[in-house]
Amino acid sequence: MSLYESSVKRPIFTALCFVAVVVFGLFSYSKLPIDQLPDIESNTIMVFTYYNGANASDIENNVTRPLENTLNSCTHIKHITSKSSENVSVITLEFEYGHSIDDLTNDVRDKLSMITNSLPDGAGSPIIFKFDTSMMPIMLLSVQAGESQAALYKILDENVVNPLARIPGVGTVSVTGAPQREIYVYCDPAKLEAYNLTIEAIAAMIGQENRSIPGGNLDVGNETYALRVDGEFRDPRDMSSLVVASIGGRNVYLSDVAEIADRTQERAQESYNNGVQGAMMVIQKQTGANTVEICRKVNEALPALQKNLPSDIKIGMIHDGSEDIIQTVNSLAETIAYALLFVVLVVYLFTGRWRATVVVAITIPLSLIASFIYLFVTDGSLNIISLSSLTIAIGMVVDDTIVVLENITTHIERGANPKQAAIHATNEVAVSVMASTMTIFAVFFPLTMMSGMAGVMFKQLGWMMCIIIAISLIVSLTLTPMLCSRMLKLEKKGSRIHTIIYRPIQKALDGLDHAYSRLINKAVRHRKTVVALCLLLFVASLFSASDLKSEFFPSDEQSRISATIYMPINTNTDRSRGVAQELSDLWMKRYADDMVTCNYRVGAADENNTFASMQTNGTHVISFTISLKELGERSISSDDVVAQMRADLNARPEIERFMVVAGGGMSMGSQSSAGFEIYGYDFNETDEVAATLLAAMKNVEGVGEAYISRDNYQPEYEVVFDREKLAQHGLNLSTAATYLRNRIYGATASYFREDGEEYYIKVRYAPEYRTQLEDIENILLYGSGTNAVRVRDVGHLEEVFTPPTIQRKDRQRINTVTCVIAGGAALSDVVEAGQKIIEGMDLPEGVNVQISGDYEDQQESFADMATLALLIIMLVFIVMAAQFESLSLPFIIMFSIPFAFSGVLIALWLTGTSINLMSVLGGIMLIGIVVKNGIVLIDYTGLCRERGMSAVTATVTAARSRLRPVLMTTLTTILGMIPMALSQGQGSAMWRPLGISVIGGLTVSTILTLLLVPTLYCVFQSTGIKKARRKHRKQLELAKFWAENKDQFIHDKTARI
Amino acid sequence: MKAILITFDQSYTERIIDMLTTNNCRGFSMVEQLQGRGSKTGQPHYGNHAWPSMCSGIITMVDDDKVDIVLEKLHAMDIATEKLGLRAFTWNVEKSI
Repeated sequence: MSLYESSVKRPIFTALCFVAVVVFGLFSYSKLPIDQLPDIESNTIMVFTYYNGANASDIENNVTRPLENTLNSCTHIKHITSKSSENVSVITLEFEYGHSIDDLTNDVRDKLSMITNSLPDGAGSPIIFKFDTSMMPIMLLSVQAGESQAALYKILDENVVNPLARIPGVGTVSVTGAPQREIYVYCDPAKLEAYNLTIEAIAAMIGQENRSIPGGNLDVGNETYALRVDGEFRDPRDMSSLVVASIGGRNVYLSDVAEIADRTQERAQESYNNGVQGAMMVIQKQTGANTVEICRKVNEALPALQKNLPSDIKIGMIHDGSEDIIQTVNSLAETIAYALLFVVLVVYLFTGRWRATVVVAITIPLSLIASFIYLFVTDGSLNIISLSSLTIAIGMVVDDTIVVLENITTHIERGANPKQAAIHATNEVAVSVMASTMTIFAVFFPLTMMSGMAGVMFKQLGWMMCIIIAISLIVSLTLTPMLCSRMLKLEKKGSRIHTIIYRPIQKALDGLDHAYSRLINKAVRHRKTVVALCLLLFVASLFSASDLKSEFFPSDEQSRISATIYMPINTNTDRSRGVAQELSDLWMKRYADDMVTCNYRVGAADENNTFASMQTNGTHVISFTISLKELGERSISSDDVVAQMRADLNARPEIERFMVVAGGGMSMGSQSSAGFEIYGYDFNETDEVAATLLAAMKNVEGVGEAYISRDNYQPEYEVVFDREKLAQHGLNLSTAATYLRNRIYGATASYFREDGEEYYIKVRYAPEYRTQLEDIENILLYGSGTNAVRVRDVGHLEEVFTPPTIQRKDRQRINTVTCVIAGGAALSDVVEAGQKIIEGMDLPEGVNVQISGDYEDQQESFADMATLALLIIMLVFIVMAAQFESLSLPFIIMFSIPFAFSGVLIALWLTGTSINLMSVLGGIMLIGIVVKNGIVLIDYTGLCRERGMSAVTATVTAARSRLRPVLMTTLTTILGMIPMALSQGQGSAMWRPLGISVIGGLTVSTILTLLLVPTLYCVFQSTGIKKARRKHRKQLELAKFWAENKDQFIHDKTARI
Repeated sequence: MKAILITFDQSYTERIIDMLTTNNCRGFSMVEQLQGRGSKTGQPHYGNHAWPSMCSGIITMVDDDKVDIVLEKLHAMDIATEKLGLRAFTWNVEKSI
């Protein structure tokens, strides 16, 4: 018993099998996590090597270069970039995608162990650090505080940070902008000198006083007591009564020479939310944890935490990583629902039977739900890729069912009973259904083998599509016949309402059939004209391509904008804060209706702040994070906001450079950029080239902003000691340096303990005594001799410029000019303009410029896609040739592919969309989709020929008969894509080009396939017939020749014998 | 006793067997996959690409008095759904064991 026969004869078994699939599918669905993208395994490893005391160029020569040379031999390496700055070398290894990061790490570790011994003596061992997407913060919380600002860190740490960090999946919670408490002992240098005291002596004294020492055990009678001396300060003020010296029998108290300040850190990053000082909390997730889940739990926990806080502290949301994800997923879910509705409508319009429509409507969700099982089993998630696969699939899963359904209906109309009709009709079309499914496999299976970034994106798409299509094939061969055998019957005249609604549609469809068959009748008789016209259209469409712009990835509307603003180096925090406050006021006023929060941070961050240490910070750096209202609730696009912000920043001459990024660079679809990498050893030369290029690029239309990667030379003061003089005073360089450090930076004397927390007690000069260079020069240094000596007597101050961080890429020094593309502009235009500028430049010898950034990724991915397209075309050809057992028929069908591409180009041109990875993907998918139409047409034409019709009659008959199925399957696919192409929801910009290209390509190609393929079939057939006739004529001539000369041949032969 | 050879489109199978059963014609032999085409009208049944449908054939030996009833029922079936194709032929059974 065949598959379909047993499924028709055992309806309960069949139905329950699918019920089980649905139950498992829904179960899997309920367990599936929601995420933005499929898991992208990290491909970056960083190697940190510390070499204290070495400057940038020493680090470059002695650490970075040897390490680079060794690491370069690692397998699968794509790029090595490095930064050599003072004290540390950071090498970043970028590997090709698709390799296990653990294997790569082991390889790197092996390579490092080979080289570690030949590093300089003072250098530490290299530290390996795997860069991970989980480093990206998933939530940014704003904290506004009033009078609690001074104690904000402690309050937040106890009441918010710790509870949040206990939520499963939360990695770290860092607080920025809330300075920690520190206790300073601010000394007056003049008084110290008068009492012959030093900072070091005071620090040591405090350290010795602030102690708790156990004194052993004591037996008193029958009991044992522990004995101890507890001298720890209960209050910082206790310190003021410490006796630090005794002069002339009189005690000198600490309060005589110093002031005790119980305050917050002197230098810390400050955070302002909507103009009010407060803090920012950054939540990072653990590797592999689910963003949406964590954000949900954090959001649940926040109201309760807020209750425990003092009334002046308000926690707000700057960025919630799950919002975008949930919105994107919701808008995709909406798209799927619309697509489903459209497809069902099309089926009803074309068949006019509600029972048939119900059968189709049942099969769609079934195939889709089954794919959730795959996701669940493979630890996948509901993300943009998997949900978009569903949208793409909706139009395709019905194709097989429609073919089967149509044939069963034909059988029933012939008079067969539904049960028998279901079995035999399915049997008849099973092979061709499988063959057309194979062409779809041929398209999507190669996607699973793609590499690179595109591979990460499309692997899941490929698998999802293959699985959905496979399931739809099984459904169409088992469930559809079963349902048909139960539900379909020879329909009597329909109800009155049905007749009223359906009659005009029926008439229109009949009219279309008739008109089309007449058109084909003409076309096959004017074959040359038709072919010429089609060719003309194809060439014309290529012209529209010359206007098209290209980019790597479509940029999407973002609700978060971040800006990093660099004031001239050495600008102090007060000045930076002033500028930031002005900007913040300006933007808050202008975007009052569109903005939720405007957060900015200024100042140098604490070393132990995980989040801040990953970002650029300093007294001259201002970091803005602006969150806009949700799409639809605001009147302005993020691109426009970014453009206006850039204009504001450009208008301020005091700002040296800035970067404004929509989306914060943490998600796909932020604005793309073009990098011009300037390779060359000489700093001056590359700086000059970079500056010229930067100036030129800023004037190019479409460049939103441009900046140079190399930092400016940093001015600093250096104390140059005279070693001889130092030695005369019994000092050495490190003692002298330590003296300096203790006075300016401070000496950590001890820890003040309170409520289980420890705070630094730092002894240093009071702030007013370290504001001028003279203060430094006046510092007293105590040597082994009796007399102290001032700094100015043993050395002098020099203003120097330290060399910038040395950046290298692929073992060459590099300076990069990065141009961020403004909203609406295309990457290709900017790169082209850049190339022209570079060509016009007179580059010094040894300096060369290369283009990188998104453009490099784009070129790589497009090349990958081109290979893929070729592979797919070959596979599709093989499948078709196998099905038709012919080489010419698939060749005819293949003619619909170029027109699909011209349709894509025309659609992109009309809608002003640029060519990007998504539209190219649409084009590739079309290869499989459009040949299906050709297969249907040619298959039936061949059938008519086999039934004995002439080529022309067969073509016209087949065209007329297959018009509706072709239109139906095409319309289901097109309408399934329309919600995607029109969608305005979050994340839609990414998928819109895909929808547009599929719709355009499929429309143009279907119209032309319907015209060109029958015509070409006739052309090939007529050539075939002519050939056959020629052969036949030759045979006849031969036979005639034989008949005429037969006697002579026979005679000659007998004569020879 | 007469032999009736019934050749028919496969979708008749159940209906014909039911009909034979209801008319007390118990015995029959059946060939499920049979190719053929009608002498005048109807589509060929070849089970190939051009003509995908197939016939089946039943040969049954019935008592003389039942021949007309069976043929009548078959004829009715044929008339009702003539596009499917159904033919029956009878001849005498000379001897049997």
